[in-house]
Amino acid sequence: MSHAAKPDALSFQDIILTLQRYWADLGCVVLQPYDNEVGAGTNAPATTLRSLGPDTWRTCYVQGCRRPTDGRYGENPNRTQFYYQFQVLMKPSPDDIQELYLGSLRAIGIDTDKHDVRFVEDDWESPTLGAWGLGWEVWIDGMEVTQFTYFQQVGGFECSPVPVEIAYGLERLTMYIQGVDSMFDIVWSRGKDGLVFTYGDVYLENERQYSRYNFEVADTDFLFQEFNDREAECLRTLEAGLPLPAYDSVLKCCHAFNLLDARGVISATERMGYILRVRTIAKACCASYMEHVVGVKPEADSKEA
Amino acid sequence: MEKTTLAFEIGTEELPAFDLHAATEQLPRLVSEALASARVPFDEVKAYSTPRRLIAIVEGVPERTEATVEQFRGPAAKIAFDAEGNPTKAAAGFARGKGVDVSALERRDEGGVEYVYAVKETPAADVAALLPEVLEGVIASISWPKSCRWGTTSQYFSRPVRWIVAMLGEVVVPVRFAGLEAGNETRGHRFLAPGPHAVAHADQLIDTLRNAYVVVTEQEREESIRAQVAEAEKACGLVAELPAKTLAEVVNLSEYPTVMVGEFDELFLAVPKEIIVDAMLVHQRYFPLFNADGSLANKFLITSNGNPEFEANIVDGNQRVVAARLYDAKFFYDEDLKAPLESYVEHLDEVVFQEKLGTTLAKTKRIVKLVEHLCAAAGLEGQEKADALRAAYLCKADLVTGAVVEFTSVQGIMGSYYAKAAGETDVVAGAIADHYRPRFSGDATPATRVGKAVAFADKLDTICGLFAVDQAPTGSSDPFALRRSALGIVAMLTGDEALQVELVPAIDASLAAYAADGIEFDAAAVREQVIEFFITRTKVMVRDGGSSADAIDAVLAAGVREPLEFVNRVHALEHARQEAPETFADLAIAYARANNLRDAALGCDYDESLLSEVEHALACAVVQAEGRVACALDADDYPEALAELAALRKPVDLFFEKVMVMDEDAALRENRLRILNRFVDVFARVADFGLLVK
Repeated sequence: MSHAAKPDALSFQDIILTLQRYWADLGCVVLQPYDNEVGAGTNAPATTLRSLGPDTWRTCYVQGCRRPTDGRYGENPNRTQFYYQFQVLMKPSPDDIQELYLGSLRAIGIDTDKHDVRFVEDDWESPTLGAWGLGWEVWIDGMEVTQFTYFQQVGGFECSPVPVEIAYGLERLTMYIQGVDSMFDIVWSRGKDGLVFTYGDVYLENERQYSRYNFEVADTDFLFQEFNDREAECLRTLEAGLPLPAYDSVLKCCHAFNLLDARGVISATERMGYILRVRTIAKACCASYMEHVVGVKPEADSKEA
Repeated sequence: MEKTTLAFEIGTEELPAFDLHAATEQLPRLVSEALASARVPFDEVKAYSTPRRLIAIVEGVPERTEATVEQFRGPAAKIAFDAEGNPTKAAAGFARGKGVDVSALERRDEGGVEYVYAVKETPAADVAALLPEVLEGVIASISWPKSCRWGTTSQYFSRPVRWIVAMLGEVVVPVRFAGLEAGNETRGHRFLAPGPHAVAHADQLIDTLRNAYVVVTEQEREESIRAQVAEAEKACGLVAELPAKTLAEVVNLSEYPTVMVGEFDELFLAVPKEIIVDAMLVHQRYFPLFNADGSLANKFLITSNGNPEFEANIVDGNQRVVAARLYDAKFFYDEDLKAPLESYVEHLDEVVFQEKLGTTLAKTKRIVKLVEHLCAAAGLEGQEKADALRAAYLCKADLVTGAVVEFTSVQGIMGSYYAKAAGETDVVAGAIADHYRPRFSGDATPATRVGKAVAFADKLDTICGLFAVDQAPTGSSDPFALRRSALGIVAMLTGDEALQVELVPAIDASLAAYAADGIEFDAAAVREQVIEFFITRTKVMVRDGGSSADAIDAVLAAGVREPLEFVNRVHALEHARQEAPETFADLAIAYARANNLRDAALGCDYDESLLSEVEHALACAVVQAEGRVACALDADDYPEALAELAALRKPVDLFFEKVMVMDEDAALRENRLRILNRFVDVFARVADFGLLVK
């Protein structure tokens, strides 16, 4: 059932470049991927921490996301333990944000008039970040290609003004645009001389190795220890009033937890315990950010819930 | 007076399907109430809605409200004014309450007594001037399960509001909300006719939308979808499944629904249909299609909101989504089948059941032990017992299979497929699928005794374990759904084809299994908590079943440990009371009197020589009832015990009628109290009749 990529469709990297140009023109700071393991573009500090406080903020960036449990040894055409999101965050959310988003789809070659584009309720909640928002998953002909969220709370703090987050699933979107059935068949780049690199050329070996590592090899004792050490380091860093580096430790804890999860050593109940521990330090980072960066000393009660 | 139409549209980003339905139902009432409280008359309010709008059309709205004069009588003048003729606090309060100035209160003579009157005149007002506030109130008063803020606004709505149309006839009503001001421009279907479209008159809003590819009511969209589904069924020669919940959602996922037929590769039909149907209904909101013989077909129905002209594009895209999902499902299913279900059991030691309670493998072993106990108690023998033990051993194995890790909603069902593939008996396979039942209130209990035994053991193990480590549900927090599990067990104990076992010995067996696993807890205390928990759940169930609260409390007060006994007793008591209402009413009064006079310090040993004839009759009846009630209870014959108590009615009534209990002679008095003590004690094991007093 394999289809070759449509020759006139944008390459993976052209899609990224086009989206960057599009959102840059709308005033977004084009950041480069955050250099720490994250499970989603949301978790990068440019979204999580910068959602807080009254200042205007607009950014877009590609973010490689690690979800160890999604690894399939490179054998599943739709599922990998590492993939890319294109993340847009605009605070406050513009009034015409849905139109702006649809415009970005048209920019990368999707004629929205000739497809079934829909906004289907999908509220977002991140138990580890103490964050939630309301929005949709965006479907194109039944395929979920984007998460679209108005953040209401981050780290237990009300967002005011409200940021809107748009997270494109780059591989799915590209598969759709190029008409290929396997992620690994995505045309990543196409040189003027006709030289083509596919997603498989770039990442298939990664998937094989990381799937083995995540599911079979990662040392669980080491990871449990890392979780504990990073948790302590986060709290120590916060005592020094440094939420930004402290937040790196939160991300390290999240990743250690995700790897432990992939190794199958965390149960439903334990999961709650670990999530609570991550949430506690994530919220502490947000509170510290509010205090030291935004300049608002959080009230005692806003630390709850 | 001339009347016109009010059109009010709240234009939004896509509203959640179920929340939209609830809001559509609220809207006519909210608009009616808001108009009425502003004294704006109207003929009728009609609601319309789509994912991007809520609309109220109000017909028969006049240009002006009517002037009114209302008169309210207040306190007597002598209370309203003091000696100097100044208004008192009472007068001021009354005037404030009626919205008039205290100096405007009038005094009127009524048959010689003077009262104060407030006369409130409301002049006629321009409806157009009243409407902004009325409609702004309507927007704010719609209640949503979850509300959203956006941009820099502080107002809430389900999703951002992007435009408002408010027109009285041809005139725009300047409603303001969240930085918007109402106008006369609406918007059509997001892609087919986006607009904006100017509306010349309130009467034209709905037609303008219909012309802009918007099917304006839930009902019309549902009718359209059903008709198109019927057409597609006919064309394919297949039958669609339209579950109410999915249909209700699909109706509110489009403004202009077009039903299209999609197809997937037949090779995916090898995957259990539960996974395919789950992926279609839950994830994609497609309707699956079935052959005449009930088997799943490789076609499905898409309800699109796109332009029907581009059906080929849309169908192609949807087919690729389904193929990807089914590919995933088939991948897992094929992988899982490479090893027999049994082989997954040992991997359950990698899944922690609960931090302090060990792994799911340990749980599995406890379930097996408990099922062994239940087999003995319920008389399951031979093949039935063998099946029960086997199903218990295998019931959790699918939790570590790929398909269940991926599609958690098919846990149990996949285990049953894998069991059959591995050559287990049908009963074992069925019990594995069923052991999560009942999964929700009103769900069926497992079909076989084997299934019931495994379901019972699994649930009881979870309840006992979590109570043992002090994780009982509190308030709204019940992460392990222990309440639902307990209700499930109670349903299996008390429903049709109940499992004939006693709960308390099973609790003991479960706690013993934990103790054997080295879990430390206060066994006696936990045992009592668990029994109490079950009784409380049973109480809720019996009450929800329509039994009266006093009968439930009366039975509970006598102490009851087994849910089945509890249920039976409540029903018996209610039945007996229904048969002989007077007897029970009388007996309850007599019991209450006796219980009030009761003096436990005196004991029950009365002196026979002091008894009068009437006292003697009661004493004899009590002694006889003591023996018979005990016999009846030992034989589990609660109705008989009640009948024995009912027989005490006459002697005790006579006793209270003829005998003066609180005699001045202490010896006589105390002797009578001893008889009453003994009378009260007869009831102790049956029911507290004092609670039956109306």
